[in-house]
Amino acid sequence: MVEQLRLSELKRHAMTGVSYMLPLVVASGLLIAIGNILGHNPSLISDYKSSYTIWQASVTLGVYGMQLIPAIMSAAISYSIADRPGIAPGLLMGMIANAIDAGFFGGMLGGYLSGWCINLLKKYVKVPVWAQALLPMLILPLLASLIVGFIMFFVIGGPIAAASFALTAMLQNMQGGSAALFGAIMGAMAAFDFGGPVNKVASLFADGLLLQGVYGPEAIKICASMIPPFAVTLSWLIRKKRYSKGEAANIKVAFPLGICMITEGVIPIAAVDPIRVIFSCSVGAAVGGALIMLFGVESQVPSGGMFIVPAMNNPTGFLMALAAGTITAAGLLTLLKKDAVEEQIVEEDEEEIDLSGIQIK
Amino acid sequence: MNIVGVAACTSGIAHTYIAKKKLVTTGEALGHNIHIETQGTIGTEDKLSKEEITAADVVIIAADIKINGMERFKGKRVVEVPTSIVIKSPKGLITKIATDLGLS
Repeated sequence: MVEQLRLSELKRHAMTGVSYMLPLVVASGLLIAIGNILGHNPSLISDYKSSYTIWQASVTLGVYGMQLIPAIMSAAISYSIADRPGIAPGLLMGMIANAIDAGFFGGMLGGYLSGWCINLLKKYVKVPVWAQALLPMLILPLLASLIVGFIMFFVIGGPIAAASFALTAMLQNMQGGSAALFGAIMGAMAAFDFGGPVNKVASLFADGLLLQGVYGPEAIKICASMIPPFAVTLSWLIRKKRYSKGEAANIKVAFPLGICMITEGVIPIAAVDPIRVIFSCSVGAAVGGALIMLFGVESQVPSGGMFIVPAMNNPTGFLMALAAGTITAAGLLTLLKKDAVEEQIVEEDEEEIDLSGIQIK
Repeated sequence: MNIVGVAACTSGIAHTYIAKKKLVTTGEALGHNIHIETQGTIGTEDKLSKEEITAADVVIIAADIKINGMERFKGKRVVEVPTSIVIKSPKGLITKIATDLGLS
């Protein structure tokens, strides 16, 4: 049990959840956005016996997808902890989270609880040989669903729903300076490690809020993910001497990836000169994030880069924030970076990392 | 030595493949025989064969998420690391494993 509570373990389960959830979020978000744009915000289908348009169908399908998100998150976390028996109770806990408005964070918690509960049951419930087959089929999923389900309904559901609601209300009511500060922090976090763990924390937060109907953080995330590749490209165009031939080749890959909102293309460039690149990109992304909040830009779609900008509520505001962030970061990069040394050793530099904690099992 | 492994990251579109490339390039440069399977969002690619797994001296799991098919490596020596370690320090990792196992 102690082993399971280690932070790296907790994170791995959450990341498994995110990786299963992402395709669903993207598909649902785009369905809603496409339906809303082309069908001029149609109403949801309420009566399947009367006729409806394809845009209504598209938005409705997207909304179904969004409602499934706590469930898939919860099921994937539970699966990550307890393997296949975790899926059934995990799905149910996600449905509870959705129903009691505990949202995404409630779903995450439900997932952890069901996974751990299954693991405990696996350990302590002993059955006679003739009932072995019933264990994974009936006993584990039923007991875990009962136990964790009751906990969700009667113990922790209320407080989580209230906390979720308070957070949502706070973010929605933020204005002026505090909104800009929030945007700047989110932006800087999202750009800080180019798709690494810090970025994932920021995006987890933004994805969670999306389900609560707060769409600003998603716009920040999208903006901040695109600023580093764009900024590196722009600063290369301003002053090519700053980058070696190898880096230039990487930039030509990073830019198109950036258009698709994949920040990772910048990693090879950041690896050569981490402090200056990370600093410049984070500052640029903070500027972009602050502007997104000030302009009130919102995105119902969590991923997709330039292609989903038209689906935002304020595409012009988004592009202005993106441009301002990119120019800031590119300016800093050009100023701070030294000219590249062309005769660099072909062998890539390795970071010195303490590997002593790694064990062979 | 013979190395097999699996790479998988959260979004399953970038780090997974960077990690694979780093491991394979470095492993081969150091004279090892290495096969890496990727479990990205697209699904499993370059699936490890039974023979490859049987012949392997060590299994490197470079993953930020739960990977599928861990039972294939039962009884093998398994090293589990996040993708970031492999991306930042592939040579350090492989050398350490070789030293710890007394193989090179």
